[in-house]
Amino acid sequence: MAWNNKLKGRVWKFGTNVDTDQILPGYAMAAPEDKLKEYALAGSAIPDFAHKVQPGDIIVAGDNFGCGSSREQAPVALKEAGVALIIAKSLARIFRRNSINIGMPVLVADIADKIENGREIEVDLVTGEITLLPTGEKVKGQALAPNVLETLECGGLIAKVRRHLNPSNG
Amino acid sequence: MNSIEGYLAKAAGREKVHVGEDITVKVDLAIAHDVTGPMAVEQFRKIGINRVFDPHKVVFVIDHIIPAATIDAKIGQNTLKAFAREFGVKVYDRADGVIHQIIAEKHRLERGSILVGADSHTCTAGAYGALAIPVGATELAATMATGTLDLEVPETYEIRLEGRLQPGVYAKDVILHLIGRFGTNGFTDKAVIYTGSLVKHLSIDEKMTISNMGIEMGTMISYFADSNESIGEVKKVFTFQAEEIKACVACSPNPGNFAKAADVAGTKISQVVIGSCTNGRLSDMKIAAEVLKGRKAAKDVLLLIIPASKDIAQEMEDQGLTRIFREAGGVVTSPGCGPCFGAHMGLLAAEDVAVSTTNRNFPGRMGHREAKVFLASPRLAAESAVAGEIVSPGTVAPLGGV
Repeated sequence: MAWNNKLKGRVWKFGTNVDTDQILPGYAMAAPEDKLKEYALAGSAIPDFAHKVQPGDIIVAGDNFGCGSSREQAPVALKEAGVALIIAKSLARIFRRNSINIGMPVLVADIADKIENGREIEVDLVTGEITLLPTGEKVKGQALAPNVLETLECGGLIAKVRRHLNPSNG
Repeated sequence: MNSIEGYLAKAAGREKVHVGEDITVKVDLAIAHDVTGPMAVEQFRKIGINRVFDPHKVVFVIDHIIPAATIDAKIGQNTLKAFAREFGVKVYDRADGVIHQIIAEKHRLERGSILVGADSHTCTAGAYGALAIPVGATELAATMATGTLDLEVPETYEIRLEGRLQPGVYAKDVILHLIGRFGTNGFTDKAVIYTGSLVKHLSIDEKMTISNMGIEMGTMISYFADSNESIGEVKKVFTFQAEEIKACVACSPNPGNFAKAADVAGTKISQVVIGSCTNGRLSDMKIAAEVLKGRKAAKDVLLLIIPASKDIAQEMEDQGLTRIFREAGGVVTSPGCGPCFGAHMGLLAAEDVAVSTTNRNFPGRMGHREAKVFLASPRLAAESAVAGEIVSPGTVAPLGGV
């Protein structure tokens, strides 16, 4: 998918401390990559998330989203299931970096209390501005750092490393 | 610069670094296991180069699901082993132990070295002064290619532990106390340095128990200062008196959900797990064996004992601990991660309640989402196994020498 800094999607709300065991349970960790999406958030408060999510949907959560293990299967499962963006009040370090490294943007913003499940929002990843539809109310999120934007523009860390190691055919 | 900044500057080949700055550091060792490794090597192959940055500085340990519990798990292990053969990388593939224990035993780094691990508990190595940074599979693949890691210089906090622990209170209680105090995201993206008079008296095993769970407070780096190290300026100092720390547990649904042992005493349990990269070392096993010697696990409790490494398992046999555990009705398994992360070897159903010396108890961590897991010290776990319910240390066996 080509890089696009402006996203529009439907919101799925989650609470605080949604850890990687809830996002991708331990029993599913060894599943092949193309099967991971079937387990997306299977251990969470919305266990049938994988069957309900539509491509382009946006997760909105409270503090510490993605805490726990380093399993990259967790963000991969969300991305493969169609999640286009995760907005959370705060994100755990490894999960945040894993998401960016696989080309799935994450944004820090405190909007969980402002919106309800299923609401549509528009997001500009460069400015960090979130527009709540249909009212047009605007909320400022943390703008992404230049190195994060570079990784996302490349489509992930592997493409970025390829470009750096071999600039001629990047 | 403080100790963390000094070592990061050195690894970045710079005189100075500042908090918040993006730097690139040279990596001394890159590690992965059978859950993160297969994805890392697949990502590495996409980079399209024919060698890792230094075959002697990449180590794989198959510890999570060994022997394989599913065909998919075995496929992943085969992927990892094939890569190791092709690229000349060391792989531990005989249930040798949990990755963090193997690295401590066989590949221990010098103070200030940079360890990058595709496992969140890589921070365990901070016990011996490594700057141990957990990453995911893709970032590890990049490190395997370049020998470097990009990071932002973190703010550093000092946790000063003063005094001595009371009888029945252990390193596990210290870290559960701290997570309870600071919360599961108290130090997200930050570095923490442990200092103080208690630290001087802690064994390396005990330090590993504490540094292991740094990630449960979100830390980027958990680091134990050397005995006479002057650590320099930090953002803030938090001081704790060890005497005030009580025997405790972390209740479901997260490691920050602190409770004094006395306040949950009497809770009926169905499984006890003693092991893991948090508390599966010989000293932990000795503490458990002291309690279990001549006693039996309660009839409704499945007691699982999981040595953190093959060397530890051997010592347990040589010193008669394994026999004590078996005679107590315990199941002594092969070394590895056991049921800690919910893939095999002791999963829980909804109605189960476990006391476990492992490091996490998020919903579903050890099986069913509704199962309850109380994180605790080996002492509390062993006594609870005998009692069939959670008890404070000293209830089943007298403290201070049994």
